[in-house]
Amino acid sequence: MPSWAEFQPYIVTGLALGGLYALSGVGLVVLYRATGVLNLAFGAVGAMGAFIAYSIIQAGNPGWLGWITCILFGGVVTLGYGLVFGPALAGRGPLVQSVSTLGLALVLFGAIDLAWPTTGGQSPSISFPTDNGGFSVGQLQVNWTQVIALALGIVITAGTGAFLRYTKLGTAMRAMANDREITATLGVPVRRVEAAAWLGCGLLSGIAGIMLADLSALDDTTLVFTVVISSLAAALIGRLRSIPVTFVAALVIGLVHDLITPINSIANYQDMTPFVLAAVALLVMSRGQVMTRSREEG
Amino acid sequence: MIDTAGPKAPAQARRGPGLERRVYIRAAVIAVLLLLALLVLPLLMSAYYTDTMTQVAIYSIVTLGLGLLVGRVGLYSLGQLAVLTIGAWVGARLLFGTGQPYILVLIEAGLVTMIIGSLITLPALRLRGLYLALITLMLAGGVTVIEATINFPNGGGGFSGYNGSLLHIPQIRRPSFAGTDPAFYRFSVIVAIVMFLLVFAHLKMRPGRAWAAIKQSEPSALAAGINTTFYKLWAMALAAFVTGVAGALLAGADRELFSIDFPIQNSIELLAVVLMGGAFALTGAVIAAFLQAFIPALLQIWGVPNDWLIILFGIGVMQVLATAPGGIADQFPKDMMRLYRRITRGRSRPAAAIIGSGGAAGPPGTGSVSTGPAGNGGGTA
Repeated sequence: MPSWAEFQPYIVTGLALGGLYALSGVGLVVLYRATGVLNLAFGAVGAMGAFIAYSIIQAGNPGWLGWITCILFGGVVTLGYGLVFGPALAGRGPLVQSVSTLGLALVLFGAIDLAWPTTGGQSPSISFPTDNGGFSVGQLQVNWTQVIALALGIVITAGTGAFLRYTKLGTAMRAMANDREITATLGVPVRRVEAAAWLGCGLLSGIAGIMLADLSALDDTTLVFTVVISSLAAALIGRLRSIPVTFVAALVIGLVHDLITPINSIANYQDMTPFVLAAVALLVMSRGQVMTRSREEG
Repeated sequence: MIDTAGPKAPAQARRGPGLERRVYIRAAVIAVLLLLALLVLPLLMSAYYTDTMTQVAIYSIVTLGLGLLVGRVGLYSLGQLAVLTIGAWVGARLLFGTGQPYILVLIEAGLVTMIIGSLITLPALRLRGLYLALITLMLAGGVTVIEATINFPNGGGGFSGYNGSLLHIPQIRRPSFAGTDPAFYRFSVIVAIVMFLLVFAHLKMRPGRAWAAIKQSEPSALAAGINTTFYKLWAMALAAFVTGVAGALLAGADRELFSIDFPIQNSIELLAVVLMGGAFALTGAVIAAFLQAFIPALLQIWGVPNDWLIILFGIGVMQVLATAPGGIADQFPKDMMRLYRRITRGRSRPAAAIIGSGGAAGPPGTGSVSTGPAGNGGGTA
């Protein structure tokens, strides 16, 4: 067993990663509650945005242009998908709607591989100016990007919670999570509220994509699948409903995932963390519950 | 194909003799196609296509299992490729470690995979559909990680049967009667037929009716006295069994297995092709297998990057779910019928057809709903 000192640096990276998983998980939960769709293309959209940002920066443009493009790309693509397929699949149930987003994920995944083929040479990467600056706590080096990642996770979780509670749009989203039909009858512009949820989820996927490309790696398989699986696990532990639980679960997943790194015997299995934690959580939570309602709601 | 076969006297009699005849014709067509596939094709195919068609036969078992889950029971599994690799792993390990007959190994691999698959999905089966899909997606990720770490057996010792420092890697053995590629192709087709019959028999009997009830409405099925968890587990176990058999078959077909050959996106691709092929008919499984194993081989010859296929599958999934839930197996005959009608109608007034094809969107009513995968499948099926 490694000593405590060996674990310390991974607390920082784990929390940073957890912050981004939290942000992603919250995006997934909000969209799911408002529209009934679990956006499985979340990671793919962010990944494509990050690759576009990489190309923009490679072309000699300033960094901020790439970052903003990435975030906007996430918003536009996700909103576009939502506008086209949201109404087309409405009423087909969350399962079909969510599987359909896998189609978008496949399209983007193929497109990324096609446009940015993996070659033997220098692998693409994205770095922020904040990577170099930082401070130290005791012997721990913390850079500003990690601080930003965790802060974004906290701010967006808290912000989303407040948004859902105090704004008119947020109230409409909560109402739609309960009953879409009744909400529509009460005069809420359902399509417009859904579009807002898609846009929000897409912007978050762009943010998550660009940040993870820096903190983790600009690699399509990692960005498309690991991110989705980790934040899905967090959302799942939150029962696709609770934003605070999702936040905590995401932090735990990020922490456990990184803290395993120095333990040699199981380090290779660290990517299984979300699966194991979600499976255990589901097992514990499903005890004594009979969930055979035909209507699937969170 | 499913509902009409078999003598069910009174109901059948009322539906008239035309249906009976159609069933016989269909059975005869299938039999002829199978005989062609078994006897004639191996003589005509080059080594490359023999390999490819072996893969098609094997993957048809996999898509059969997944189609059963998706189409018959309504369980969307994203981890079926992981199940396949478990079967391949167990099969390879047994083939290296023991001298048992190959067919026995096939069954054993199926059984072990069935047990593992059931145990893993058991917690999720109590949950509703979406959760199951998510858990199986994570399962796919988890299994990928495990396999990348312990690797596939390559003739080494110990539990994993992997030895990274082997200089000469022995090939996975094949049955003595199917040592050559054409013989192994025939063997794979026969195993696939047996698996299709196994699933077909299940569908015709009590489990099939229970699954149909569960798919319609779980509460109603529960109210009708069906143990829904048990039958869902049964479907999962059956699918895992046939997929495990396919995995052991794959071990013999490929002769050496590498975890890098089973990336996680293939799990999603697999669900995509099953949905595109058509999850509600057994023919859909065959179409799906062609999409999964044949078209990539074709693209490789043509020098087209496989990524285009992934993009196409993605579009196909969205299109199928949005407009043609029955997939190619259901949509293609309908489209052909519509085309036939349009051609026969077009003969009487050709001017309208020319105007219609000139516009970008075409007038309503003439535009076919399903052009993407249905048209694409038309060339291959």
